[in-house]
Parts: sequence; C-alpha cells; structure tokens
Amino acid sequence: MDFSAFSSQFLVGLSRAMILFVVCAGLSFVLGVLRVPNIAHGSLYMIGAFATFTLSKLIGGSAGFWIALILAPLLVALISLIAERALFCHLYQREHLMLLLFTFALMLIIGDLVKIVWGAEYRSVSAPPLLKGTVSLFGASLPRYNLFLIIIGPLVAIALWLFTNKTKIGKISRAAAVDREMVGVLGINVSWVFAVAFVIGCYLAGVGGALITPTVSITLGMDHSLIIEAFLIVIIGGLGNMWGALVGSLIFGVTQSLGVLIWPQFTIVFPYVAVVVVLLLRPKGLLKAVW
Amino acid sequence: MFNEVIRLKWFGPSIVIFLVLFILPSFIPRFYTYILALIYVTSLLAMSLNLVVGHGGMFQFHHGVFYGVGAYTVALMLTKTSLPMWTGFIAGPIVAAIIGFIIGWFCVRLTRLYFGMLQISLGSLIWAIVLRWYSFTGGDDGIHGVPIAPFLSSLNSSYYFILIVLVICLIVMYLILKSPFGNTLQAIRDNPQRCEAIGINVRRHQLIAIVIATFFGGLAGVLFVVLERSVFTDMLFWVLSLEIFIMCLLGGWFTFVGPIFGAAIIVALRTFVSIFTEYWTLILGVILILIIFFLPEGVMGYFQEIFKPRTKETVKEGTK
Amino acid sequence: MLQVETVVKSFDDFKAVNGASLSVGKGEIVAVIGPNGAGKTTLFNVITGLLRRDSGKIIFKGEDIGGLPPYEICKKGIARSFQIVNIFPRLTVFRNVQVAVLSQQRRSNTLFRPASSMVLNETNNILESVGFLDKAHSIAGSLSHGDQKILEIAIALGNEPELLILDEPTAGMSPEETSATMELVKRLAQMRGLTILFCEHDMDIVFSVAQSIMVMHQGRTLVQGKPEEVRNNPFVQEAYLGVE
Repeated sequence: MDFSAFSSQFLVGLSRAMILFVVCAGLSFVLGVLRVPNIAHGSLYMIGAFATFTLSKLIGGSAGFWIALILAPLLVALISLIAERALFCHLYQREHLMLLLFTFALMLIIGDLVKIVWGAEYRSVSAPPLLKGTVSLFGASLPRYNLFLIIIGPLVAIALWLFTNKTKIGKISRAAAVDREMVGVLGINVSWVFAVAFVIGCYLAGVGGALITPTVSITLGMDHSLIIEAFLIVIIGGLGNMWGALVGSLIFGVTQSLGVLIWPQFTIVFPYVAVVVVLLLRPKGLLKAVW
Repeated sequence: MFNEVIRLKWFGPSIVIFLVLFILPSFIPRFYTYILALIYVTSLLAMSLNLVVGHGGMFQFHHGVFYGVGAYTVALMLTKTSLPMWTGFIAGPIVAAIIGFIIGWFCVRLTRLYFGMLQISLGSLIWAIVLRWYSFTGGDDGIHGVPIAPFLSSLNSSYYFILIVLVICLIVMYLILKSPFGNTLQAIRDNPQRCEAIGINVRRHQLIAIVIATFFGGLAGVLFVVLERSVFTDMLFWVLSLEIFIMCLLGGWFTFVGPIFGAAIIVALRTFVSIFTEYWTLILGVILILIIFFLPEGVMGYFQEIFKPRTKETVKEGTK
Repeated sequence: MLQVETVVKSFDDFKAVNGASLSVGKGEIVAVIGPNGAGKTTLFNVITGLLRRDSGKIIFKGEDIGGLPPYEICKKGIARSFQIVNIFPRLTVFRNVQVAVLSQQRRSNTLFRPASSMVLNETNNILESVGFLDKAHSIAGSLSHGDQKILEIAIALGNEPELLILDEPTAGMSPEETSATMELVKRLAQMRGLTILFCEHDMDIVFSVAQSIMVMHQGRTLVQGKPEEVRNNPFVQEAYLGVE
C-alpha cells in the first residue's frame, strides 16, 4: 500500500467523518435533552438529501446548489416542527419506549412518503463549479468538495458550541439535559425547550443530508444505513456528548475508508471492529455521557 | 412438571382450539392454510421476542437477526451440504443462540435504550455481511428451493409440522416463565437494582434469557424455511425486527398469549393491505402511532383491564 | 463483624463520604445518625456495593468486600432495605419475597420446575414473621406506603442475611407505624439472631433501640460509641444536637 493511496483514503474518510459528525451532533443533542434516540433522524437526513436534489434542479445554475444547501435543512426543520407540535409533544409524560416507538413510526411513514414523492430511482447532485475538480494535499489528490467538507465540520462544531454555551436557549437545553426537574421549577416551559432541541437536532440531520448529496447517489434506504452508523457513533462517543459525537465520527469515518484499502468487499466490518474494541475497553463510551 | 400446564383453567379451551386448528386445513382454501401457517411461524417469533421484551424488560430491538440466522443456517446446510435435514433443524436455533450470546454479551452491559441502539447496530452488521457475502449467502437474491424431505413437502404436512412445533414451544416457554428463572426475570424487569441487592447476577440472568429467546427465534426461522423453502435478506432487516416488536406491543406485552394475537393481526393485515397498495410500511407506521396513543397496553392488556377491574391498579403501575 | 475504615466516595468534586469509619459487632444493633446530606445513604450504598468506594476498606467477616458487585456482597450475607421504596411493584407480595429466597438458595436459574411449588415454607415463614400472610397475594404496588416499607424488610430477610442494613426503615411513616416497625425490627433481630445497621431521623427511636451509634457529619465520622457516650460527647452536641 503506497503512501498516497493511504493519505487520500484518510482524507476522504475525514471528510465523510465530518458529515457523520454534523448528523450525529444533531442526534446526540436530541438524545441529551429529550433522552430519546430519534430513529427518524436518518429519514430526515434522507429528506434533506432529496430536497437538495429537487431544489438545486429547480433553481438551477451555479447558485442552485448553494440555495438548496440553505433551504433544504430548513424544510427538514419545518417538517420536524410539525411532527413535534402535532403529535410528539403529547408523549412527553409517557415512558421513554413510547417516545422511541413514535420516532420509529415516523421513520416508517417518512420512508414511504419519500418513495411516493421522489420514487425509487437513484438521484445525483453535482457539486457547484467552485468546488469541482481536485486539489493536491500530502501527495494525494482530493476532490475539492471533500476539502470543503473538512472545513465545514469544525465550523459546525464551533457554531454548536457557541449555541449551547453562549445563547440562553442553548444554556437552558443543556441544563435540561442534566436536570430537567430544575428547569421546570425555574418556570421555563419544558415542552418548548424540548421542541427547540428536537427541531435543531433534526435541522442538523437535514444539513448532513444536504451536504452529502454531491458525494453519493441519493436513494431510498440511505436513512437506514445512516441511522445505524449514527447510533454506533453516539454510543462509542458517549451519550449526548457533542465532542463524543466528533470523536466517534472520526473513528468511524476513518476506519471505514481505510478499510477499503484492506478488504474492499467488507469495509463495513472495520468500523464495527473499532466500535467493539472501544466498547470492550470503555463500555460507557469514550467521553462522559451527559447523564 | 407438566402438571402445571394441565391444571390451568384454560387448558380445556386450548385443547379445543388446537383440535380446530388441526382439522382446519381440510376445510379451507390452500391460501388460508398458508396464511395460518405463516401466522404460526410469526407467532413463535413474536413470543420468543416477548420473553425478553415483555417479561424481561430488555429492549431487544433487532430480534429479526436471529430469525434470519436460524433460517439461513438451515437453508445453507441443506443446499450446500448433504447432511440430513434434521441436523439443519437443530443447527438453526443453536447458531442463532450463539450469535444471540455474542451480541447479548455486549448489550447487557448497557441499559435500556442503549441496549436497544447497540443491538440494532450489531444486528445490522450481521445483515450487512449476509447481504454482501454474495458467493456464500446469495446476497440480495436470497436462497430458493431449499430441499425439504418429501414428508414435509406438501403445504398441509408443513402446516401440521409448524403447528405442532409451535404448541411444543409454547408449552416450554410457559414452563420457563413459571419457573424460578422466569419469576426472577420478571423481577429484574420490574426492578433491576433491587435484584442486584438480593443477590441476583442481573447481567448473567439477562444474557441467559437472550440466549433462550434467540434460540426460539432461530427455530421460528427454521419453520419459515419449512413453509417457504426460501430465505431473504429482509428477514434480518431491522424493519422486520421492529415489526415484531410492534406485534408484542399490539398484542399486549405483559401477557403470555398477547404476541400471538399481535402476530395474527399484523400478518393478516399485511396480507390484506398488500392486495391494494405497496405502501405497507406507511400503514404500519400509522398503526404504530395509533397503538401508542390509544392502546399502550395492547389488545390483550386492554381486555384484561376491562374484564378484571380489581387488578386495575396493577395495570396502572405498568403504564408509568 | 463489619469494619469500615476511612472510606471515601466522591461524585465529581463533591466528597459525599469523606473518611467514614464504622464498626459493627455480631448481634449488635448499630445506628448511623447525622443531618441530611451527611452521607449516610451513600455510605450504605458503598457498603452494599451499589457504589464503588474511592478508597478505604470495608471488611466483612475478615474479608475485604470493597469493590465487589452488589450481588456478590449479598451472597456474603449482607442484605438491605432502601430509603425510597424499592420493591417489585407488578408482582404479588408473595413473589416479591420468593424471588429473594430463590436467589438465596441459588435456584434463580432453575428452568423447568414451576416456581409456585418451591420454597413455599421459607417464604411463608418470612411473611408470617412480618405479619403479612393475609396480604400474600396482593399486588405489591397496591400496598400502602407503610406496608411497602415493611415489604422492603421482608424482601431483605429472604436472603437470610447475617447483617441487615436498613436505610431509614420508617421514612414517611406515621408515629404509630414507626414505633410498630421498630418493635418489629427488634423482634426480628432477636428471633433470627440478626445484626442490624440502620439510619434514622427520629432521635428517640435511635437512642432507645441502638446499642451503638455512629455520628456522621459532612461525610466524616465524628464519633462512634454507646448512646450515652454519644449524647455526652461535646463535638456531637456542638455539631449535631445543636447544644451550645
């Protein structure tokens, strides 16, 4: 295995890890505040991807992709807000399993709705002209778009950190993750805190879905594979811990893309091996879970 | 130990139901016989899941994997080797139980929802391997035309075989639940912390329960092969797993026979709905939301609440 | 029988137990007292293995049991009740106790024998000794709070412990229930030759029942001694009993 193949795979893995991070940070955020793993998270990601496809085609031109990149996640956030206010918010008093099963029902419904709206064909979005072509980095050639992803990832992390640490609603939701009774006592409407957290988490799923469009083909079933990866990442990172989501995504993305060099048919096995090793050493995840 | 079964007040009615089901194939069209047999297979699967979910309180979210592993084991053994059929029938559940042990060993270290999340993930690994290992498992195509011995090859004979195996399994599961092991398992469901404090190794107990449940899950997979002579990767897909979970919930997961009703309703509905539309998962999702909002104790739980007002307090406790 | 030596347990930066020591002799009734937040419950949780100690020794019958999981500690002969009711709410009273008895007899893993015919005598004995025979088939979750607290003790008895640890056995009870419960505890101790370690808020009860009292303050042991010694100890009077 020569060095340039290695470093190019490493960088591809890194860029993939950034998308995983954006999605998992959203999942982890919802998990931390609501204490429910949102199974529909992958479905919202899928909607984000399909919406980006439609919007960028509709608007067209070189700006199409950029506008879609902004609008598609907002559409996802809107969908999640409707689902939350119409149905999900009535379940907060119930046991956690019911919340979880509700997100599962949402996944089933969205899965078929996407099939009805967009059909079962494979779709693809091409990167905007600005990000076409490749750059050369550490002796490896890397698509410009992947470089863009590697830059975007840390930006999202910083934005999320600023949100949870510097804004009032962010601080409240962080407090709710640790001690929800106290937040209720303070006279804050817990139900709205949950709604905001849920919508932000889903928005991030939409961002991830929009970002991934130029690198893969958009198809039904992308929700399943993503949510399973996201679960693993959140578990090895530490539940509800945003930095844990980052560490988990890096481990997952990099082992997966390096696995291609070793055993292409079963690349999927490598991240799992990494996960098993982590869980053997630290059953509760690498970083401290929020609860 | 069988006295326990015979003394039951519903022992008589069960015998009658069994006899009716036994003579039924002579009077109904083949298609209905097939659907009934499919319901039996699915019932066994749902019952096996309910051992750990309803009675053990564990979030076994990817039970379908063990169903699939059982089915694939027997299908592969019968198509790739010349071993006698019954060895495959035994190997199916055993391999499923071994995989159940390995996955369970990781899962019991985590609690509740994380148990479920990890199981979905690890189970999906098995699914992905089966899907990608084209040369061995046939990947997407599955395996078709599994050779089954002539005495089981007609629909009626496989119907009887499945029915008898189901009844035996139900009796065994009932005995397990009434045994000290089963009682302790239910105590763990109610209060794992207290169980640790009274000297029970909770994780080991849960792991044993998982192995037992996955064994029966694998057996259901074997019965599926007997009925269909084919296996598909969809059997290991987690949507099926959650569908089984819904069956337990729908039937009433704190009751013994509830999952059978859940399985019957879902299988019948799926068969019926597929005639009109291909969007079965959409309908399943809507059904699930309806259950969550209106029938949290399941169909059986609902009837129990109506017919036994004096145990109302118990039922309330369960919904907390 | 039980020796606790300078045990420390902290949560993040907060030292809930910070150098607690305790000695319990065979057949004694020992009380731990201290204001709320003194670390009594944490100390009990550390002794019974629900929490791991950070440092210090916990010696039971000459063996260091610190760091063992709760179920191992239980098998060594320590059973406990909880401050906040901690029972099996969906099971009947009988089965609540039976589960503990089955565990004690290492029969929890028996698969193919009906539990309904096992350890009946042992279970009924315990139910009788706490006066619960008539309630045996009620669902535990439907009992009154006071009865649930007694069921707590009954479950602990199912393990045939040598040392019984009771964490505020009378919390939330009326005065009548409280004195009846303490009578019950004393009687059980005599009948079964139990050693008892408990904590309790009501000072009258503590000073009338306990043979030895340990005083905790801010996670630390102030003193342990006979009731009259403790009552007259100047530190205790200042820090806890509030005498100038």
